[in-house]
Amino acid sequence: MNGLEEATDGTVSVDGHEMTKKDRAKLNREYSSMVFQQFNLYPHLSVLGNLTLAPTKLKKMPKKEAEELAMENLERVGLAHKAHVLPTTLSGGQQQRIAIARALTMKNPIIYFDEPTSALDPEMVKEVLDIMVELGKEDITMVTVTHEMGFAREVADRVVFCDGGKIIEEGTPEHFFTSPKEERTQAFLSKILR
Amino acid sequence: MGTIFDASCWAIVWKYRATFVNGFLNTLLTAAAGLVLALVLGVVIGLCSTGEKKFLRILARIYVEFFQNTPVILQVCFLYYALAYSGVRVSVVTVGIISLGVYTGAYMAEVIRAGITAIPTGQFDAALSQGFDRLQTMRLIILPQTVKIILPPMVNQMANLIKNTSCLFIIGGADLIATTYNFVTGESTGGAYGPAYLVGGLLFFCMCYPLSLMASKWEAHLKQKSVQTNDDKKEVTA
Repeated sequence: MNGLEEATDGTVSVDGHEMTKKDRAKLNREYSSMVFQQFNLYPHLSVLGNLTLAPTKLKKMPKKEAEELAMENLERVGLAHKAHVLPTTLSGGQQQRIAIARALTMKNPIIYFDEPTSALDPEMVKEVLDIMVELGKEDITMVTVTHEMGFAREVADRVVFCDGGKIIEEGTPEHFFTSPKEERTQAFLSKILR
Repeated sequence: MGTIFDASCWAIVWKYRATFVNGFLNTLLTAAAGLVLALVLGVVIGLCSTGEKKFLRILARIYVEFFQNTPVILQVCFLYYALAYSGVRVSVVTVGIISLGVYTGAYMAEVIRAGITAIPTGQFDAALSQGFDRLQTMRLIILPQTVKIILPPMVNQMANLIKNTSCLFIIGGADLIATTYNFVTGESTGGAYGPAYLVGGLLFFCMCYPLSLMASKWEAHLKQKSVQTNDDKKEVTA
């Protein structure tokens, strides 16, 4: 949806503007941020540098303002005390929380989460999900690919179930988890929910 | 006459020491200016060869293969005589800077390409997701990360560039090899082979060795940094 993968079919429109390969970077700058399965923090920059690079270079935010905003967001994910270390010194859960703070510092209306907890030790999954639950209460659109069904059920406004590259079923979590129409969905749920 | 044990030979070399200093400076100047050109070309061609435009990738490939697979001494001659025949009057030093810069640029491009391809695709994805365009991604995110990968091979190329100034001898250059050779074959100074070549070699060594020394120091520094990083990690998990 942010042009990292080329669409094999159909188009992506952001705010009525159809995304092309040429302007995908510009649209991402203005509308969306992303949190990756493998965090993808910039290893050559400090945690603070990771957060302020894009706002200062792309949004022309003054350095001081960007740093204040970054510290605020680090505070939110509980890692303000790690602002000046290199990201590779942190655990997976901490890195992912930094990645979320980095996405927040862009102040974009949409954040994409690509399996944000899949690469984490089970013990660290909770610290990341807790933050996402909090974010869910705010005025940010979160599009999340996840295997955490409990989380999806609790936080989502809308659930989309995909298999083999196609949308099988979509609806409210209520509908999806209690009375799915499609056979494929029923089979899936019967396997994971006992 | 001519051996390194002959004091009179050393005396001649010492008497004409300005010749050697002159050759040394010419080689240093040619190498330094050539290095700037090589680095600029290396970055540009390296970026082209890793870019999305197929046309530029092919162009970069042709450039690299062409200059890597012909002898630099031939390129020096070709440029020099091509310019001479087309009526352009340029100094030997200029020809040296251009031809050595262009030649070394091909090797630099390969070093930089290798550095860029060693960076995980996740870094490119992260940059694009934040809205960086291609050039910003390279300048702010990818190239800074390649430094520690490309440093050792790059220093090798720098040393090669310095040593390759010896090819300018063939077009009548004033580089260190040319001055040394002219010295030992010269009418008034000739004969002091051993001492003259020793001094010439020593002067080359004085240019190249500090480079490799600097590189290994920097490498050790980077290594230490990553060791520290690992120590921090232990603290976190403890």
